[in-house]
Amino acid sequence: MSRGRAMAALPPPRSTWDAINPLRLLGELSETRYWMYLLLLPSALLITAIVLFPTVYGFQLSFTEMRLNRPAGNGAFVGLKHYQRMLADPIFWLSLRNTAVWVTFSILIEFVVGLVAALALNRNLWGGKVLAVLILVPYFLPNVVAGNMWALMLDSRVGVINDILVNIGLLQEYKAWFADPNTAMATAIFVEAWHSFPFFTLLIMAGLKGIPTDLYKAADIDGAGAFAQLRLITLPMLRTIIAAAVILRVIGLVNSPDLLLILTQGGPGRSTQVLSLYAFQNAYSDFNFGYAGALSVVMFVLLMLFAWAYIRLSKVNQD
Amino acid sequence: MAQTRSGSNLIWNILSYAVLILLAVLSIGPLLWMLLTSFKVEDDIVTRTMVYLPTRFTLENYIKLWNQSGYPVLVINSLVTTTLTVAICLFTGTIASYAFSRFNFPGRTPLMLGYLVVRMFPAVLMIIPLFIVMRNLGLFDTSLGLAVAYTSFLLPLFVWMLKGFFDAAPTELESAARIDGSTRIGAMFRIVIPIARNGLVATCVFVAIAAWNEYLFALMLTSSTGSRTWPVGLQLMVGEFQLPWGMLAAGGIISIIPVIVLFALVQRVMVAGITAGAVKG
Repeated sequence: MSRGRAMAALPPPRSTWDAINPLRLLGELSETRYWMYLLLLPSALLITAIVLFPTVYGFQLSFTEMRLNRPAGNGAFVGLKHYQRMLADPIFWLSLRNTAVWVTFSILIEFVVGLVAALALNRNLWGGKVLAVLILVPYFLPNVVAGNMWALMLDSRVGVINDILVNIGLLQEYKAWFADPNTAMATAIFVEAWHSFPFFTLLIMAGLKGIPTDLYKAADIDGAGAFAQLRLITLPMLRTIIAAAVILRVIGLVNSPDLLLILTQGGPGRSTQVLSLYAFQNAYSDFNFGYAGALSVVMFVLLMLFAWAYIRLSKVNQD
Repeated sequence: MAQTRSGSNLIWNILSYAVLILLAVLSIGPLLWMLLTSFKVEDDIVTRTMVYLPTRFTLENYIKLWNQSGYPVLVINSLVTTTLTVAICLFTGTIASYAFSRFNFPGRTPLMLGYLVVRMFPAVLMIIPLFIVMRNLGLFDTSLGLAVAYTSFLLPLFVWMLKGFFDAAPTELESAARIDGSTRIGAMFRIVIPIARNGLVATCVFVAIAAWNEYLFALMLTSSTGSRTWPVGLQLMVGEFQLPWGMLAAGGIISIIPVIVLFALVQRVMVAGITAGAVKG
């Protein structure tokens, strides 16, 4: 399709109204060379105003003193003060470690469960479509509902999970899953994985459809078993899609403290304190915007480094 | 040989069913439990021994939540914010998506990558400056301000997802209209957008669900019942007023009904769009 010039020149205006008719003018504008840039202008301006500007501002904040509850000295340049404080802040290091645990185990569970579900759904079984819809539902549920639903089921007094576990003999008595520093993180990771594994299922299912069936037929003839086929055909063919899914999920997990904010607020003690939550609490509860800004900048830089290294390692850019 | 293969096929089919049914139960079970809890009286929820089915079916939790907790206001605020978010995405995102899909121009690839990369920016990093800016502009604690903040992560998503649907729409009809003397803008509104309307609807629904569900931005950028959305309101009730489990469950159910209905209506198209957007990105 030719996208260059107008195929038919517009007739000249027939009357005064025609000359100022906005629809006609827009039509003429759409034939100019800069039309696509005009189409992009509104969204580009919006993204500049609400993403790029705040991000730059955020970097700047991390070098200034900004405490809303202590107006004196606000906006003063303090250099690397916040970053120096961070290096000496044990909570920062703990949050960093917790973030690593939170992200690693959530991703691992989400990936394995998502892959197994996608492989099972890909067999196109009778009733598979209905099961697929049911399995996808958690992904679309709000954090607030998902979190409180599990808080209800895991409650130390009225939790149905406790009752089931006691009844089948796995547990001696009801357990306060989120109040015990030893189980709080693992339980939160379980809830997170429950909420987000369908994302992997979705993407891997799409990827599986793109693998030629001939490959499996050939492998069958060569006598390769199911696991060999998974290792030698399926996973390599899905490499790009898995890499994309992992990056998107890591970004999501590192950036959003929502679920932990609802389930534990970082407690008990600081056993579920992650970086994003620590930064948010510094801003939301302590109004220490400078330090919160510095924490988010570090988070951002770490994420960028991770994404870069991961893409290099999995060689996505070769495809 | 053929027999053993069909035999192992059967085993794998049975295993697949087992896995899928287990996961489906795990996915839906908690929802059903919440639904059941919302119909229970408090005595059936807080008990010495677990009561699985309500001994007395009641709508009390819903009535109390609706009449006594200001929940309707929260729901209306959420509706307003969600509508504004979708409207902003629709007006600015549709044309951007069309430009990316149909034109080849200098700067196209870096711009598209730019729209992708902004999704990596941490919410917390943007929330703090947005809070300050919104306060200075008088947009703090308004539905419009919150909706504008939502577009920071939903607009790029909208553009990428919709581009997939525009790419899938055939260009022949558009060419024919152009040969017949239609302007570019005429072809866009009369031909391409109508062809891609299912995708457009699904993309809007996806953005609407995300805006409806959002918690963190709303927590930071609203401070009164004038604009507070339901996730923030519900969580506040849990924290401050020790909301009874029955009412909390009722609130959860009310709030996810629109999500479930919208998801059910467009899930097939929406799922195709999410995967296309993510795979190409």
